[in-house]
Amino acid sequence: MRRLLISSLAVLAVAGTAAAEDITLRVHYAIPTIWSDAQTKLAEAFMAENPDVTIVIDGAAEGYEDGVQRILRESVAGNAPDVAYVGLNLWRVLESRGLAQPLDGFIGDEAEFEAKGYTPALRSLGQFNDTQYALGTSASTLVIYVNPDLVEQAGGSMDDFPTDFDGIIELAAQIDALSPTIDGIWTQRHDWRFQSFLGAYGGRPMTPDESDITFDDEAGIAAATLYQRFAQEAGMQSYNEGNARQAFPAGTLGIMIESSSLLNRFLEGADGRFEVVVKPLPIMAEPEDVYFPTGGSALVMLTDDEAKQEAAWRYMMFATGPEGAKIIVENTGFAPTNALVIEDETYLADFYAENPMHRPAHEQVARFAGPWYAFPGPEGVAVTDLIAAAMVEVSDGGADPEETVKELAETLRDRLGMR
Amino acid sequence: MRLISRRSADALTDLWLAGPATLAMLVLIFIPVAIVAMLSFTDYQFGARSFNWIGFDNYLVLITDPQARRAITNTILYAAIVIPFSILFGLLVALGLHGLMQYAPRLSAILRAAYFLPVAATLVAMAVVWQMMLHPNLGLVNQMLGAAGIRGPAWLSDRGLVLYTLAVIGVWQTVGYNMVLFLAGLAAIPQHLYDAAEVDGADRGWERFWTVTWPMLGPTTLFVTVVTATGAFRVFETVATLTRGGPAFASDVLVYAIYREGFVYFKAGYSSAITMVFFAFVLLFTVVKFRFMEKRVHYR
Repeated sequence: MRRLLISSLAVLAVAGTAAAEDITLRVHYAIPTIWSDAQTKLAEAFMAENPDVTIVIDGAAEGYEDGVQRILRESVAGNAPDVAYVGLNLWRVLESRGLAQPLDGFIGDEAEFEAKGYTPALRSLGQFNDTQYALGTSASTLVIYVNPDLVEQAGGSMDDFPTDFDGIIELAAQIDALSPTIDGIWTQRHDWRFQSFLGAYGGRPMTPDESDITFDDEAGIAAATLYQRFAQEAGMQSYNEGNARQAFPAGTLGIMIESSSLLNRFLEGADGRFEVVVKPLPIMAEPEDVYFPTGGSALVMLTDDEAKQEAAWRYMMFATGPEGAKIIVENTGFAPTNALVIEDETYLADFYAENPMHRPAHEQVARFAGPWYAFPGPEGVAVTDLIAAAMVEVSDGGADPEETVKELAETLRDRLGMR
Repeated sequence: MRLISRRSADALTDLWLAGPATLAMLVLIFIPVAIVAMLSFTDYQFGARSFNWIGFDNYLVLITDPQARRAITNTILYAAIVIPFSILFGLLVALGLHGLMQYAPRLSAILRAAYFLPVAATLVAMAVVWQMMLHPNLGLVNQMLGAAGIRGPAWLSDRGLVLYTLAVIGVWQTVGYNMVLFLAGLAAIPQHLYDAAEVDGADRGWERFWTVTWPMLGPTTLFVTVVTATGAFRVFETVATLTRGGPAFASDVLVYAIYREGFVYFKAGYSSAITMVFFAFVLLFTVVKFRFMEKRVHYR
C-alpha cells in the first residue's frame, strides 16, 4: 500500500514538472495473480528511467482470453490501450483485425537488434509473414513434474529417471499399480500439449506458409499414440485440469506433464509433503528438428499515434530487455525470453540459487522454444477444441491414433479452408 | 381556458407514465435483440471492422454441425432430468416441512433454511465446493465410496457421466427455490377444504393430497414449472465453472455454446444465430405453457 502511494505521488510529481511533454501510456495485462507485482515494478522502473512517460496500468483481465476480448471491445469503442500483454497464441487475433502495429520500422537493423538479446527463436514467437507484431515477454513450455517419493515407492530412482517416453510410461505404470487411489501419470488433452508432443517427435502442425496441415505424419501419430499409451498402459484417468492440479500437490499423482508456469504453484502446494522435481520433456527426434511451442505472453503495440508509438516502443524494449526480463522472472517464475539474461549469469544467478527447480524449465525454453501455432482464419480458435476432443477419443474412447489423427487433419483442412 | 383537450391531456399522461419504461424496454431489450437477429445473418467476427451478409449459412451450420446438435440434445436431456426431478423433490420437501411445522416448527425452519441455502449461495463459489467434493481421488464422495469398497468414477470428467452429474447439481440448486414456492402454495390452501373432504370420506393422506392439495397447488405448479424449465434451458454457470463443456463437448449446452462461439472463438455471427434459436426455444416454451396450461389450473 505504501509503495503504491509513493509511486502514485511520484507519478504526480513527474506529471507536474514536465506537463507539456508528457506522454501517458495505457498498459493492459492479464492474470493478476501471477503478474500484478511484476507489472507495478516494471512500470516504476521504466518511469524512473523515462521521466517524460507516465504508465497507467489498466485493471487486469482475469485471463488471456478475457484480456483479448476486452481489447476487442475497447477498440470497437475507440478506447483501446496503447500497449498490451497478450497470450502468445492470441496476438494473432489482434493482428488479423489490424489492431497490432507492425514493429519492423522500430526494430531497424536486425543484427543490432539480435545483439540486444532478441534471438531468432524469440522473434519467431511474434512473427507472421516475415513481419514482427509482438515481442515475447515471458515463456513457458511443457515440462515433467515428478513426485520423487512415489517414484521411489514404485522401485524407480530419480538418478536414472527415464529420458524417453517408453521409460516414463513404464515407470508411471509401476506408480499406478501402488494403490487404487494413486495415479501414475496425467497430461491434458489439449491443443498446446498435443503440439508439444508433436514437436518432441520433430513434427509441425502446419506448413510455414500456413497453407496446409502437416500433423498427420509419423510425428503426429506418435504424439496421439502417447495419449493412448498413457491411458491404456499407465492408467491415466480422464481428470479435468482442476482435478489434476489438485491431485499432484496432494501427492496422489506420480508424474504430471504440465506447463512450466505452474511450478511456483506446485512448489507451494506440495510444500512439506514432498520435493517437486522438474524434468525436461524427452527429445524423440534429431535435436535440430525438435521445438516446444511456447506459452506465455507477448507485448503488442496498439496505439497508432506517432508520439505515443515512440514512447510505447521504449516501454516494450525496456520490458523485453534484460532489466525487464529480470523483473518478470523474479516476480512471476516464467522463463525469460531475452537471451542476454540467460547467457549473462549476473542477472539471475541469485534467483537460480534460491529456486533451483526453475533452471531445467528455463533451459528447455532457451534451447527449444518455438512458436505456439495459432491456426489461421475465423475458425482458428475453434479447431483447437477439436484437437483436444480427438485426444479424448484416443485416450478414453480407445480410438485408433492413426485414423483419428488423419481424420482430424482432414476436418481441420475443411474448417480452415485449406482446400 | 384549456390549451389542450381533455383527451390529449390523458394521452400525454399515459405517455408520461408508460413512456420511460417502454423506452427502457426498447433500448435494453428490443433493439439488442434486433441487432443480434441481424448479426446472425452475417459472418461478423468479434472486434472485426467489417462483415459480410451470408444469409442463412449460420443456421444451416447449426442444423448440420454435429457439435451444435450435441449442444442441443445435451440441453434437452439436461432439462428433461432437471425439470421433473426438481419439481418432484421441491414438492416432497415442501409437503414434509409443511407437515413438520405442526409439531416441530424450529426444526422445520432450520431445514427450510438448509434447503434454501443453494439458492442464496453464489453458484460459482458452490461450484468450487462441488469440484472438491467430486474429485475422483481426493473428493469426499469418492473417499466415502472407497471406504465402502467401491471405486468411484470421475464424476465431472467421464464422458458418459458428466451431464448427469451436472443435472444432479442442477436439481440440488433448484429444489430449495421450488420448495419455498410450494410452501407458500400449501399455506394458502384453506383448512375448510380439508374439513369438507373429510366429511366426504377423503380422510387418508393420499386421498387428501389427490383431491385437495394437488388441485389447489395447480397455479403454483404451473409457475414452478415455467420457472424451472426456463432455468434448466439456461444452464450455464455450472458448465462454465466445472467442465467448460468438456471433456470432448460431452457437457456442451446451448448457452455455453453461445458463450464459447462468441467470446472464446470470436465468431459473433454464428453465436448470434445460436442465440436466436435459443430465444425461439424459450419463447415457444413459455407461450405453450401459458396458452394451454393456464386454462386448466385456475378455478376462480
